Amino acid sequence: MHDEPLLSVSNLTVDLLTAKSAIRPVDGVSYTVRQGECLAIVGESGSGKTVMNFAPLGLMPTGVTTQLSGSVRFDGHELIGLSEPELQHIRGKSIGFIFQDPMSALNPVRRIGRQIAEMAELHLNMTPRAAEARALELVKLVGISDPAARLRQYPHELSGGLRQRIVIATALAGEPKLLIADEPTTALDVTVQAQILRLLKDLQKRLNMAMVLITHDMGVVAGAADNIVVMYAARTAERGPVDKVLVTPRHPYTRGLINAIPRREDPIGSEFRGLPGIPPTLGAPIKGCAFAPRCDLAIPACTGSRPPLVQSVDSSVVVACPVVNQGRAAA
Amino acid sequence: MTHGPILKVENLQTRFKSVQRGKFVHAVDDVSVELYPGEIVGLVGESGCGKSTLGRTIVGLEKATSGRVLLNGVDLSTLSGSALRDSRRALQYVFQDPYSSLNDRQTVGEAIDEALQIDGVKSPADRARRTKELLDQVGLAEVVKGRHTRELSGGQRQRVAIARSLAVNPRVLICDEPVSALDLSIRAQVMNLFLRLQKDLGVACLFIAHDLELVRQAASRVYVMYLGKIVEHGPSQELYDHPSHPYSQMLLASVPEANPIAERLRKAPLMVGEVPSPTNPPSGCRFRTRCPMAVDDCKKQVPPTFKLSPGHDAACVFAKDLHRGKRSALREAEANAERVGALVPS
Repeated sequence: MHDEPLLSVSNLTVDLLTAKSAIRPVDGVSYTVRQGECLAIVGESGSGKTVMNFAPLGLMPTGVTTQLSGSVRFDGHELIGLSEPELQHIRGKSIGFIFQDPMSALNPVRRIGRQIAEMAELHLNMTPRAAEARALELVKLVGISDPAARLRQYPHELSGGLRQRIVIATALAGEPKLLIADEPTTALDVTVQAQILRLLKDLQKRLNMAMVLITHDMGVVAGAADNIVVMYAARTAERGPVDKVLVTPRHPYTRGLINAIPRREDPIGSEFRGLPGIPPTLGAPIKGCAFAPRCDLAIPACTGSRPPLVQSVDSSVVVACPVVNQGRAAA
Repeated sequence: MTHGPILKVENLQTRFKSVQRGKFVHAVDDVSVELYPGEIVGLVGESGCGKSTLGRTIVGLEKATSGRVLLNGVDLSTLSGSALRDSRRALQYVFQDPYSSLNDRQTVGEAIDEALQIDGVKSPADRARRTKELLDQVGLAEVVKGRHTRELSGGQRQRVAIARSLAVNPRVLICDEPVSALDLSIRAQVMNLFLRLQKDLGVACLFIAHDLELVRQAASRVYVMYLGKIVEHGPSQELYDHPSHPYSQMLLASVPEANPIAERLRKAPLMVGEVPSPTNPPSGCRFRTRCPMAVDDCKKQVPPTFKLSPGHDAACVFAKDLHRGKRSALREAEANAERVGALVPS
């Protein structure tokens, strides 16, 4: 069992049913994350990158019926099919969360120290006293100056960067094996983003945690992640080591995204490189490749059936593109 | 008239009453900005630096405490009533979030028609013709006219919002983060739209953004703002090649690289702390609390603005040394970090 990855998602499909409509935001996605490893999940809004992480853990809005199929194995246990109390035991304990907006992730009317200590009491069965001590330790760990004074403050008294550090401390309170960070730096300024990313990287190494980093920023991916999953319209377009995917992207969508990043050598006033068209709206699963209408390589085969993920020659990258994969067998 | 700036902001100051009694939030403090016809000019800085307040004050969404806004040489504060409304037409605002700047219950056609009615286009036939023209200008097919704005994607909505701003034939657009709410693959399309509007219609744009690389490519000149003040200003190429204020240097260095190998090699020192409260801005130079080069003098006096090369100036006592490359805020930040040990205490 030593070799089993900490998190292993295979063929995960999520269907969301509301009174009016049925959509499939995640359609047959697979990936693994090992201990101490960081996986980046990149995609545009509506690509399914958030739902695929939160739906298996029961974190979905009320009023929506969520149907899951496939398998999500975490630390040797299957998560799909677990009851809400069982999931509650995992959430916040062995899996910690960091959300995009640190203000809405914290309780505005409770002191910071209490919020962190509460997690330690709940998940590690600590006495309130021991939990307070643990909170102090955690606040020091996330690099906050004057930690004792901060614990007595309320979230609104802190700046955005400090709040995000508190959210990170809260996420670490249950000693998680896996940290899921959903756009942890999107709401922050670029100078503070650099601080928070360095902190996350440092903590991940020191605590030997696994991390899933959900983001749309390739710069964040490059600095923090080992592997990357590129999502497009509920499916995986490309998956592999960051050094391969970002340097020599193979899927036309990944290529377009990376090509669209402005470069220092682009002349001033020159056209911005981008992708034509717009991403599809969520609805029924698309028959062929969802990217085909925007793709300049598209051939008739693209629209016929869903393109399978195929391994590259050195087998470390998988790509779902019939044109790129011509002559290779499905993985 | 053609050689003067279309928009001139002189020593503008915008203060808000603070929740702390008797105190003020100095959001914009003594800022001067110029915009020439048909020019895209960038305004960059961290959140809370006052860049949006500056934009909102220019178009009159906030009231200036002091200073002047001149449009085509006419001081807007001297106008009132219909004269003010007429000149305001030449000055339009594009908001960041196209999901809240449009009425969900209107169709695209109604949204644009409304703007034309306000502009006084009486004949429905004229308005229909102009609507078609505007949709064409922003790159939307005429078929979207009957669709509700809520049915559109973010990029399409932003195009509708831009079409509405253009309906009144503005000379100046104040664009407040117009693409940051849009998906990555759509941003380039909307940026190219701004470039085209500038070329085809000669509209000048003040482009407020925090994405430094985006601004570099679009703008011919850039203003860098920190805590209510312009700290550096210059032609884009010159400013990005030779940033001469410690803040600009560190801000530019904190943009991550998308190439993982380059990103790992990049040794950017972290900027310490965050933007201080504009209610109690630091004395002297406002950046001194985060500046790796700060000396005692920075506390005592507001730094003078030095001219470094044609059109390039920076407000720092060391600006000339920084410009010539004799000193570097990055090197000094690194040296400081080594002296005090790691920045993240364990």
